[in-house]
Amino acid sequence: MKNELPPFAPGIFRLNGAGTPPVLLGSRCPDCGRHCFPACDLCPDCLGTPASVELGSSGRIYSHTVVRTKPPLGLPAPYAVGYVDLVDCGLRVFALLDPAQIGRFSIGLPVRLAVAALGNDGHGEPRLRPYFTADLA
Amino acid sequence: MTEVHVIGVGMTPFQRAAREDLAGLAREAALLALRDAGLPPAEVGGGFFANVLGPQLTGEMTAGQFVMATVGVRRVPIVNVENACTSGSTALWLAVNGIRSGEFDVALVIGAEKMSVPGLGLLHGGSAEIETQLGLVMPASFALRAIRYQHEFGATERQLAEVAVKNRRHAAHNPLAQFRDPVTLEQVLASPLIADPITRLQCCPMADGAAAAVLASGRVARSRQRAVRVDAAVLCTGSYENPADLVRWETDRRGCQMAYERAGIGPQDLDVVECHDAFTIAEILHTESMGLCGPGEGVRLVEEGATALGGRIPVNVSGGLLSRGHPLAATGCAQLVEIVQQLRGEAGARQVEGARVGLAECMGGDQSADAKSCTAIVVSR
Repeated sequence: MKNELPPFAPGIFRLNGAGTPPVLLGSRCPDCGRHCFPACDLCPDCLGTPASVELGSSGRIYSHTVVRTKPPLGLPAPYAVGYVDLVDCGLRVFALLDPAQIGRFSIGLPVRLAVAALGNDGHGEPRLRPYFTADLA
Repeated sequence: MTEVHVIGVGMTPFQRAAREDLAGLAREAALLALRDAGLPPAEVGGGFFANVLGPQLTGEMTAGQFVMATVGVRRVPIVNVENACTSGSTALWLAVNGIRSGEFDVALVIGAEKMSVPGLGLLHGGSAEIETQLGLVMPASFALRAIRYQHEFGATERQLAEVAVKNRRHAAHNPLAQFRDPVTLEQVLASPLIADPITRLQCCPMADGAAAAVLASGRVARSRQRAVRVDAAVLCTGSYENPADLVRWETDRRGCQMAYERAGIGPQDLDVVECHDAFTIAEILHTESMGLCGPGEGVRLVEEGATALGGRIPVNVSGGLLSRGHPLAATGCAQLVEIVQQLRGEAGARQVEGARVGLAECMGGDQSADAKSCTAIVVSR
């Protein structure tokens, strides 16, 4: 993992040290309790001021697909994406899935967050992106 | 409330690499609609011009005023409209409400798109959005719905692909559709995978084209035998609820339900439907959202032939987006053109016998597993 690379966008995930998985970052509104991913600075429900929170690392696949057209942003061909239900906060988030595990995803499969150099910034410069991976036997 | 009628419609062929530019396509559709209405352009009191990609591709602004001037519509209020795939139907919604408010008696609505240009890749919801940065392209958005739908209802890939076969069969009778040759289920399934399980023949192709309509108040339309009444025109926006249900599309249901309530009808009263079949799974989900059947029953509706020409409730007898092609802003207007021709009994070999009530449903934009925009227009005669 080339952690010296910049992330594709700021404030999306936090890399933790070796042995601790990275976490997705979001926000929670203290007034109405709404979680947001990515984090927002104004609650879209009550216009309260959300606080930054960690949204955890684990989830379950709600749906998944493999995109086989010419990939955008230098993503691998093919690449996998899905909606993942986050265990800690209940949000359903769109996410990349581990391109090395194509063909092995199923709905309900437990997955955890990983971060690696995946795709570029639109101008060919490599970027870190979060993706979900499964602990497959 | 002031009644609103459609008194003229017109549409260019939908095709790849049309010879005409955006303005030329738009002008052709507008002239056809004005001639169909038999109305001099000086009678038009308001103009609505829908187009999505023009400003991005050419840098040109206010194309609507330019086009309208070439067909004699000047001085009056003219608005340029962009609402993704619902741009054309949003322009219709604006025109309907403008007439209802008494602002003008006659409106010209044009939806036009020129998208056969080099380097235009897959469309997405906005390059600044995180989802786009994580690889969300339009076919993936619908493939994710398809996989979830298959999981919940046990639908097969063959059942989904039946939509493409049906709509292509319809398109054989539509001289303005881009693809008119029939395809077999095997051909649909054997075409290249775009995003599992959606194959190329289950994705709507790009197209250049334009469609237009002339709308008028009851006072102007009264003496016109071929006028078709607008019973409801609804525009609504996504709720972006999280978690979103990918197979029971709340925004779609809400839009259609509102249209039925305003028109004082239910789905059982419909004779003909055009819906936004950008992908095969989309038509399945829309038929369920429109209440033509229950959740999970959309695939059976297609299999049994209920949504085919001659069936209980024909859907996309024009060939739909899958066969016509999808010139973004033209689509919403093209749907109305089809329904109006059907209700007038002027649809030729694809005529739905005795069609009196029709619905045009359209969705556009993609955000947080929801559509940004949804329109539902009910017309009757």
